Amino acid sequence: MGRPTKVQPVRTGNSRRDFFKRSSAGAAALVAAPALLPMGAQAAVNAVFQHGVASGDPLSDRVILWTRVTPAAPKPAITVTYVIATDPALTQVVLRGTTKTNPGRDYTVKVDPVGLKPATTYYYQFTAEGTTSPVGRTKTLPTTGAQSLRMAVVSCSNHAYGYFNAYGRIAARADLDLVMHLGDYIYEYGAGQYGNVRTPEPAHEMVTLADYRMRHAQYKRDADSQAMHRQHPLVAIWDDHEITNDGWKDGAQNHQPGTEGDWNARVAVGLQAYYEWMPVRPANGNLRDNHRGFAYGDLADLLMLEERLSARSQQLTTAIHPTAFGAGFATTDPGYGDPSRTLLGEAQETWLINRLRTTPARWKLLGQGVMFAQLKAPGTDQVKDPGLYFINGDQWDGYEPARNRLYAAIKGDATNAKVDNLVVLTGDIHSSWAADLHPNPYNPSVANGGYDKATGAGSLGVEFVGTSVSSPGVDTDTTGGVAGAIRFYNPHFKYVQLTRRGYMLMDVNRDRVVGEWWYVDTVASPSNVETFATAFEVRQGENRLRPSAQTPSRANPPLLAP
Amino acid sequence: MRQLIAIALLAATSAQAADLSLSGQAVNHNDKVVIDFQVAAGSTVSLWTDSWQSGLNFDPQLFLTRSGAIVNADDDGGSFVNAGAGYFDAGLQFTAAAAGSYRLVLNAASNDALGASLGDGFAYDGDTPIALASWNQPSYDFNADDQKGGFWRLHLSGVEQAAVVPEPAGWALLAAGLLSLSLLSRTRRQR
Repeated sequence: MGRPTKVQPVRTGNSRRDFFKRSSAGAAALVAAPALLPMGAQAAVNAVFQHGVASGDPLSDRVILWTRVTPAAPKPAITVTYVIATDPALTQVVLRGTTKTNPGRDYTVKVDPVGLKPATTYYYQFTAEGTTSPVGRTKTLPTTGAQSLRMAVVSCSNHAYGYFNAYGRIAARADLDLVMHLGDYIYEYGAGQYGNVRTPEPAHEMVTLADYRMRHAQYKRDADSQAMHRQHPLVAIWDDHEITNDGWKDGAQNHQPGTEGDWNARVAVGLQAYYEWMPVRPANGNLRDNHRGFAYGDLADLLMLEERLSARSQQLTTAIHPTAFGAGFATTDPGYGDPSRTLLGEAQETWLINRLRTTPARWKLLGQGVMFAQLKAPGTDQVKDPGLYFINGDQWDGYEPARNRLYAAIKGDATNAKVDNLVVLTGDIHSSWAADLHPNPYNPSVANGGYDKATGAGSLGVEFVGTSVSSPGVDTDTTGGVAGAIRFYNPHFKYVQLTRRGYMLMDVNRDRVVGEWWYVDTVASPSNVETFATAFEVRQGENRLRPSAQTPSRANPPLLAP
Repeated sequence: MRQLIAIALLAATSAQAADLSLSGQAVNHNDKVVIDFQVAAGSTVSLWTDSWQSGLNFDPQLFLTRSGAIVNADDDGGSFVNAGAGYFDAGLQFTAAAAGSYRLVLNAASNDALGASLGDGFAYDGDTPIALASWNQPSYDFNADDQKGGFWRLHLSGVEQAAVVPEPAGWALLAAGLLSLSLLSRTRRQR
């Protein structure tokens, strides 16, 4: 095909040092290897900023800058200064500022300096306790004339399950505008409960404020995470694991009120730590609802959704039809057709539909947590229980009346035009999927409002689902047999891959959106090896997927932060 | 007139080395609260705020002056002076070598002094006043959008007497009041 299928790892002067920094055996290696001692000294110097720097939620005139100060001894207050420049050496200074932090904020620092120029790369650095932080790089959004958006999309970064090699590869890409994290940035589990490559801190499931803070701190000490955050602004939403598994408005599968206390209290402390430790801007005056939009000029509208804590109804508990993937449920099951069940809640749904209808942007990119496309499997006993059943009630399948309301808006009506160029970006399920979107893709008759899998006719939009950074998929599907079976029963999927870890690279211009899947070779150990897997694209006005090819990197990207 | 003020001061506080507290409401980001107090020789004086209240109110700082010269300043040392102070409360502690009077300026961080004397002014003096309720103080908590309250409270331990010095507008009111008093007495005398 002439396509590169493998990118050689970048060899740089400090890669060996980086390797040891990333290795859990790093401390032992240092003791055994005197030649590496300077790194130990450097680590000591950077103790104050041991959690790195980060930026996020860029707008055209501001971007959030984040760090965390670790004082040698507890202090009531710490003064932190920051500088923003247009060059990595910080000589062309555009802004200086001062803020403070205290133990009540877990010594985290978050500023939102205003007055920056649009579509501009900036470099920044913090100073506190007589020490300077690493230099970070970030970028503001464009206002007009944007012709290109290039970003990485990640989700499901489970520290215990493996190394964040995908973050490391993303950090090495100098030509990205931003990184979108679609949730499960941290995981709540205790040691050995979900992954044993690395030991979580604390070693038990996080429940209290101290637990959540400690877990965030551990993730922010990861070298690959630090590298990614240092180079790119993040646009993040949470999914469930930032609090606990399969959360909804009033509870979660992995929340036991008897032993873990009040749900709302747990959400409050989990979110307190989240806002302290993440480079995100609170939205809507309600910390449990972080849905927000980012206008990338008139090229794309990034619509980030909240699907867990503000309004989600409880998952259906009516799955009674045995399938190869566990109990499934049918549209005729009790509760299924209840239109009051919601994923977004009325206010967010209204906001989303209004924005889809009115945005001047060519592309509507939905950043959201759970798969929008239908996923069905056949009943195990096709004699007694024939048909296909939804197998994951935690995704949009469990909220079909709510999903159909969005489809109705996309289709348009007598007073509202059809919504074109909808691209849904999704995380959550630790595997890679590309789908045409249709309210009932199982109906093959386009003449009767159905969907034609061969031509894509009838499709109303597309969905790209990125795999996990490290959380496990269906890793036993080494032959692709399971993925193939899923595609057989679900005609709208153009790509299903269940075993690989990595990230998506989205390349957007005015004519098309290309989604590329990039996989790392392992998460069991630090590695720089990544592989291009495949690419699909959607062209302006077509609302359906086509096979695509790897997009070229941008020429002369801004320098990476040192 | 000087005597009348002294009486007013005494009414506002109490005499002899005592533990006093003063409080009030600041309105704008560059407001300055000026407090005069007197100490006896050898007194250990503690000054601290406890009004920050985890961000309910603005983050205060203190400038201690003697004869117009700034002799000490603090932003966040309140909790070292008294356990009742919060992380961003201010505090100062000193032992007075000789008896005398001091002037204390309480304002919002980071409205820092521009020089070694009060006459040099403060960083925000030239700013158009911004209401504290709508001001993002440099130290505010971005996640909580806090420090929007204007309440301030200062505790003074080991001082003899203390009072808030009225702002120029306050002096004008006082002068007007005194004028009417003297007019009244003159009228009475004329009777």
